[in-house]
Amino acid sequence: MTKGLKKYLKKKIFWFIVTFIAAIILNFILPRMMPGDPVNAIVGKSISPGATAEQVQEQIAFYKHQFGLDKSLLGQFGDFVKNAAKGTFGVSYNQYPRTVSDIIGSGIWWTIALQLPAILVGWILGNLLGAVAAYKRGIWDKAFMPASLFLSAIPAFGAAVILLVVFAVNLKIAPVNGAYDPGMIPSFTPKFIASVIAHYQLPFWSIVIISIGGQAVGMRSMSIYELNADYVKYARFLGIKDSKIVRYVFRNAMLPQVTGLAMSIGSMVGGALVAETIFSYPGLGMAMLNAIGSSDYPVISAITLIITVMVLLASFLLDIIYAFIDPRVKAAQFE
Amino acid sequence: MSKTMLEVNGLTTKYITRFHEDVYAVDHVSLKIEQGKSLGIAGESGCGKSTLALSLMGYYFPPLHYTSGDIIIDGKNISGMDPDEVRRNVLGTEIAYIPQAAMNALNPTRKIYKFIEDVILAHNPKANKKDIYEMARHRFSELNLPLEALDKHAVELSGGMKQRVVIAISTILKPKVLIADEPSSALDVTSQKVVIKMLRDMMDKGFIQAMIFITHELPLLYNVTDDIMVMYAGQIVERGSAKEMVFDPVHPYSRGLMRSILVPEEGTRDAKLIAIPGTPPNLKRPPQGCRFAERCRYAQPACRYNQMPILDFDQGRSYRCGLSVDELREIYRKEDEADAQAVANPVESDGPVRLTKGV
Amino acid sequence: MKNTLRSVFHSPRFVVGFVIFMAILLTTLIYPFFVTRDPLQGLGKGFLAPGTYVSVYDTNTAQTYRVELPEANANRMESIVPMEDRVTIIEFLTAKGVDVSHLTTDNSDVAVLVSQWKENYDEADVKKSKYPGFTTQAKRKALARLDKRLSGNQSLAAMNVTLGDGEDAATTKVADSDYVKVSEVANAITLPLGTDNFGRDTLTELVKATGVSLLIGLIAGTVATLLGLIVGLLAGYVGGLLDDILMFIANLFTVIPGFVLLILIYYSIGQSARGVTTCALVIGFTSWVWTARSVRSQVISLRNRDHVNLSKLSGHSLVRIVVTDILPYIASYVVMAFILQVSSGILAEAQLSLLGLGPKTTEVPTLGLMMNWAKLFGAYTSSNAWWAYFPVILVIALISFSLNLMNTGLDQVFNPALRD
Repeated sequence: MTKGLKKYLKKKIFWFIVTFIAAIILNFILPRMMPGDPVNAIVGKSISPGATAEQVQEQIAFYKHQFGLDKSLLGQFGDFVKNAAKGTFGVSYNQYPRTVSDIIGSGIWWTIALQLPAILVGWILGNLLGAVAAYKRGIWDKAFMPASLFLSAIPAFGAAVILLVVFAVNLKIAPVNGAYDPGMIPSFTPKFIASVIAHYQLPFWSIVIISIGGQAVGMRSMSIYELNADYVKYARFLGIKDSKIVRYVFRNAMLPQVTGLAMSIGSMVGGALVAETIFSYPGLGMAMLNAIGSSDYPVISAITLIITVMVLLASFLLDIIYAFIDPRVKAAQFE
Repeated sequence: MSKTMLEVNGLTTKYITRFHEDVYAVDHVSLKIEQGKSLGIAGESGCGKSTLALSLMGYYFPPLHYTSGDIIIDGKNISGMDPDEVRRNVLGTEIAYIPQAAMNALNPTRKIYKFIEDVILAHNPKANKKDIYEMARHRFSELNLPLEALDKHAVELSGGMKQRVVIAISTILKPKVLIADEPSSALDVTSQKVVIKMLRDMMDKGFIQAMIFITHELPLLYNVTDDIMVMYAGQIVERGSAKEMVFDPVHPYSRGLMRSILVPEEGTRDAKLIAIPGTPPNLKRPPQGCRFAERCRYAQPACRYNQMPILDFDQGRSYRCGLSVDELREIYRKEDEADAQAVANPVESDGPVRLTKGV
Repeated sequence: MKNTLRSVFHSPRFVVGFVIFMAILLTTLIYPFFVTRDPLQGLGKGFLAPGTYVSVYDTNTAQTYRVELPEANANRMESIVPMEDRVTIIEFLTAKGVDVSHLTTDNSDVAVLVSQWKENYDEADVKKSKYPGFTTQAKRKALARLDKRLSGNQSLAAMNVTLGDGEDAATTKVADSDYVKVSEVANAITLPLGTDNFGRDTLTELVKATGVSLLIGLIAGTVATLLGLIVGLLAGYVGGLLDDILMFIANLFTVIPGFVLLILIYYSIGQSARGVTTCALVIGFTSWVWTARSVRSQVISLRNRDHVNLSKLSGHSLVRIVVTDILPYIASYVVMAFILQVSSGILAEAQLSLLGLGPKTTEVPTLGLMMNWAKLFGAYTSSNAWWAYFPVILVIALISFSLNLMNTGLDQVFNPALRD
């Protein structure tokens, strides 16, 4: 390992840790700045009508103690860190006594199962289209370019709504919302799996369509930039075959595109909000939205923490991987 | 009489712009280089030097298109050959190219030896990778290049080293003719010297048989090449030996070029630097008569209407001008006398733009 | 400058984008002069499909003309009992075992078909008997709906119309050749895009919403670009510790994705304080990061150029160096960044509003709020009112499309490597 690489890694790890700590603090503070007292809301829901002021006070004290809200802010922060380290994240305010880890556990797999394949498929298809457009040029590209620009201009919710209306409401070949038939109990029966697959299609394709346009536009301009690079001309004059040169070009054009892929995987929970809302898909995005609506701090903090850690890890890994796979970055960073 | 390595007859190529206009950037160029000789091509930027370099390769891709003429390398006519055959049997082995910007000539994500592997496999698909590696090491040590460079990416090499590596790669298959397009203009003076020396060595060691060296820096040509050719607006305007071209240019453009650049040689050191006013013509609509007439101080009215043929004079020299050689030499003699007087009694004059050294 | 502008306007992409964008912008500015109605005024109840609505009341008091349309009767029949319904009636009667072999779908048989239907259809019976072809819930529901429709129009002959609602209201006989001129009816309104769930004229609402959303994009884009420019210039030019701190803050903004931050800040402000301007400011405040990063990297590549060093040696102040030696070189880039920020600001508002976190809801519409209302009131599920959401999506897409086009056009002008 060279000295430059070591220094680079040290610097990256240092900033990773500092950012991580700051992010934890922000994740704790920001939701607690939201208006509305969650305990009052819970007591308001649970208490029987005609309760005396004393009973109300008692109830409030009980819940405050349960949630650790009677401690100082610093003490609460200590609990937050402890619970985060344990992975339980404490108890939900809104769905008391359900634990936060339980709420997250039920949502996260839906989100990952929906987003990860959709992001990958959209990325691959988009890059293929962009590369072909850049290589073929001509009329095909002339039609392709404005089309994909327009496609990428359609907002995510727009694509989701149009798919929903066309395929679920009018053609009735796909279910309108949810992740499976509400009458079913999750199990590994063929019928349940079929229902899950049927519910999966529309949210999946709505994400794919959106990412294709953007990726294709990006890949096309990266490829054109590379195709015009001097090394292409030089390689041609050395008698290297076009098929080989095209491989150089697309490899080089692809490397920056990897950043986009990693970042969208890292931020998939945030990215899932729209598709999950339109299709009422029970993922983390919906859980987050519900938690915000009911001032459920522990759930909000936990989900934002998950998002933060995922994005942080994705960008950290990217920095490290790039330093090894892309000599251009390597040369720029290690000097 | 040694044998001719490269002969070009009436080569014409054009660019087709995206608005479907034809731009004839190389217009009926003929030249001849013998074994062991080198030819320098000079001219301002935009006068077709680099396009000529590309056109000589016999391998065209848009927007550059071949129109007419022959390129004969060591007796073999390559124009009209199937492009794929040119790629396989001519490029790199018969004729090779060193690009203008060696900085960006190498694929940034491929190691040098991998790239050499690609070059050799493109011509000999059955070659053994281990043999190629050994061969590349051998060649690098012959050229005094560090062997570690083979295992590096282009971005990890310095500018001068990159240029030398590019020269080594271009000549890895011992091409007969090497075309170097401004191989040193982006380098600092020390690297320039190293690169020039390396090119000479290549000739001496027999890795190449003949060389065309393109530059806008005339002093370089005087030191490097045997002959010099001056190009203007896609045409050759004058040709002669390096010495004759530097000390006795005949065409007004050649003279202008020589006078606008410092040549650190005896007899030219005190000369004034005089820039040529104006810019080369737009080749979408080339002038009807002499292409230089617009900027020529000595142009006659007829120059603008009559096409100028290229004419031979003296021993092996040729030029393209409406005035006779004697007329031109007489004009230049008078001009130089006037200049010498002006140096002796400096007066403010509104004559041609005079530049001071270093600008 | 003049030359730059000329080359920009020679780029076909930029020009197309510019024309679309200006068309949208001008529409939002000019439309209110022609339609002065309050864009949020309710004209009715629930979704009305696009079309011209003519007052029935005023139709009767309007001058009548005699027009003999040869196909009038056929059209009338077709409108009362459409071909699709006739087929369903025959299908049902056949399934029930009624002999319909002598009946056709021709207009002449419609009256008989309808009377046969009224005789034979009974909802409870259909459910119990499970006639072949009508076993599913959906099919049975379709029959029930058909029955409701048919019972609505009793008479196919000339109708008597009662004017007024008092006892001494006059009864006028309306002949089937009586016509009124639409322009002479006292009250008629054309709703090219129908109405939304609150009965508001969707077109007027959409134009107003587009204007408000453009304003949001403009404010958000300005804030984000200015913040990004200042941070990027400081980090890139001053460097050192300041650079580290600023980039650390930028990293935090990346790590906690803008969208999440936006939601948190947005929610903290509370519903009452969330006006259009606040919304735009918050969006701008959370989206400056990438502009800052790009400006920084451009400034870093500029700060050691000869002309900058020359200025430094001449003892020029930081502000002067930045303004005269750095800004002009990144100006084209900043303009492109601004265009993208405007576009993403409009999108951010739309997404936030869709999630119910948009600006305060009662004073002005925004494109996002229109999407949100369409979602809340089932425009794309139960009501299937395409006019309430599809034009909104189209306008958003057109705005981002035009801005993206302008951006790629500029990119081609300023980045020769991308030129075709």
